[in-house]
Amino acid sequence: MPSSRSRFRSFPHWGKAGIGAALLLLFATSCTKELEYELNEVQLNPPGTIKDNEKTNQQYAAILHANLFQDAMSANELYELDQCIQSIGDKELAREVIISNFMNKPGVIIPDDATMRANIDAFIIETYNRFLVRQPTEAEKTWFRNYIEADPNVTPEIIYFSFAMSNEYLFY
Amino acid sequence: MDRRKFIKRAGAAAAGAFVMPYILPSGRLFAASGGGGLSQHVVLVMFAGGVRQQESIGLRYLADAQTEVHEGNILYNMLNGAAPTQKIVYGTGLGGINPIPGLLGQSLESQGTLFAEMRAVNAGHYGGLNSLLQGNQAMTQGLTSKPLNPTIFEYLRRHAGVQASKTWFVGNTIGNSVPLLNYSVHPDYGAPYGANFFAPNITFGPLGDQYLSDAKVYHPQDQLAPMYEMKAFLDNSFDNVGNVATGIGNTADEKQDIKAFMVEMFSKTQNGTIAHPPVHDNGDAQTIGYACEVMKWFKPTLTVVNMSSVDGCHGNFTGYLASMHRADHSVGHLWNYIQTQIPEMAGNTTIIVAPECGRNDQPNAIRDENDWYGYDHSDANALRVFGMMAGAGVPSNLRIGSEGNPVGIATDVVPTIAELLGIKSEVMSAGFLNPGTLSLFDRM
Repeated sequence: MPSSRSRFRSFPHWGKAGIGAALLLLFATSCTKELEYELNEVQLNPPGTIKDNEKTNQQYAAILHANLFQDAMSANELYELDQCIQSIGDKELAREVIISNFMNKPGVIIPDDATMRANIDAFIIETYNRFLVRQPTEAEKTWFRNYIEADPNVTPEIIYFSFAMSNEYLFY
Repeated sequence: MDRRKFIKRAGAAAAGAFVMPYILPSGRLFAASGGGGLSQHVVLVMFAGGVRQQESIGLRYLADAQTEVHEGNILYNMLNGAAPTQKIVYGTGLGGINPIPGLLGQSLESQGTLFAEMRAVNAGHYGGLNSLLQGNQAMTQGLTSKPLNPTIFEYLRRHAGVQASKTWFVGNTIGNSVPLLNYSVHPDYGAPYGANFFAPNITFGPLGDQYLSDAKVYHPQDQLAPMYEMKAFLDNSFDNVGNVATGIGNTADEKQDIKAFMVEMFSKTQNGTIAHPPVHDNGDAQTIGYACEVMKWFKPTLTVVNMSSVDGCHGNFTGYLASMHRADHSVGHLWNYIQTQIPEMAGNTTIIVAPECGRNDQPNAIRDENDWYGYDHSDANALRVFGMMAGAGVPSNLRIGSEGNPVGIATDVVPTIAELLGIKSEVMSAGFLNPGTLSLFDRM
């Protein structure tokens, strides 16, 4: 192992150029510009903004059936249902008629009123997830909670109906 | 401001308020010109899939189309003239040998005004239907595109403030883009001013019975009112992204009424009590039956009915004659039904009958069971059409135009309806009509 003296002796072998380079490196790294952190502008949009594609009649019927029955319709049934929608001029009316026909069929999976009222917040979140594929905002949750609590006639079926009729449900 | 200036400006402002048009929350635009119409209800029959002048107005039966000499009138509910006496193939029974008896004591030609030689602006079905409803050609549109310019439904709803349930389009099919004709994509008109539409063969046929007939009935106040309120809340959250409105503006009450009508139609269809014409062995006649039911229930300001069975002429001339005979029978039934079964419309309704296009002068190569040639629609003869109207506001027993002196174009139907219903100036000044288009009343 070399003594400290011998290491000192070896220093002159670096030469003046070596020392200059070392100093330059030292100063160059020590002059790094201080980082500045900024915020990008982000536009705040209402919920559901990213949904800008309107569902076709068949997409609407297929998703509605899946949401209500947790079960898929056959391609043939979807084709026939599409024809029925085409045969009615007011598409909003056509959708109402189709939803109310679905609601009249056995096999619709809807929580009962007592379950909904036992945990309204959970019901609202589950309904938004099921139909609109997103979380409700606090404002939406509050509005629906107040609305459900204020009116004993508001049943899960009526709420499902309103979600299936909403404009947002028409888009994906 | 001195007293004189104040009085002058106040007076000008008051005068402006009277003269300027204004819009009520209902959407009605009260134009400064204003004015009432000649009729309270109009029924337009789009007749009936391409009709040759020779077999209709010309009363030529087989004489101009086949190597036969038999002439005669097979549209005797609509036109004056004796029926053929030989080679009868258009009626009922085996071989169609029994002509369907006339339903009207007096033909529509005698009751009203016949424009015997008009010009279509398009030799195709969709273009022709567009011309009757838009008052314009559809040259820039595809077959699966909605009209670009406003339809007569939209003019009526926007400028006369007519409710959605008072404008009806009864189609004979969902094919041929027929369901697209109830409103246009024009940004100033469009869906909010559209007409209600049914294609009864689907809506109330086997498919409708399977998917639409078992609708749950909700209580209007206890159930539907909160449902609409929650929907409105959800729509408000989604409103800022410019979503497309797909409803035509039926109110909650109107929707309830239409649903009740549908329930009634499913019941009547099942019981066989739809107001069909006496002979209703084809789609057109059945469509007319449902149109009668629509009119009886809603008493629409404007009803448009489409028929198209005549188009079988491409490959079956015998079937063409039979379909045309049934179309005439259906029109006769429609008019008779209005006068005898709908008191609210009897005496104050005008009927307009016009083909969307004609058919060719020369046949194609397809022969039917009688060895008769079929006819397509693509040449100049396919632009030869007629138009007739009768009822409220229409002079009777008047015939205008002839083969050598055509008067009127198919697009005239739009301003004619507009004049009958009191919105002529608004339609004419909107700037969307085919050049040269006039109300038929202006051509008399």
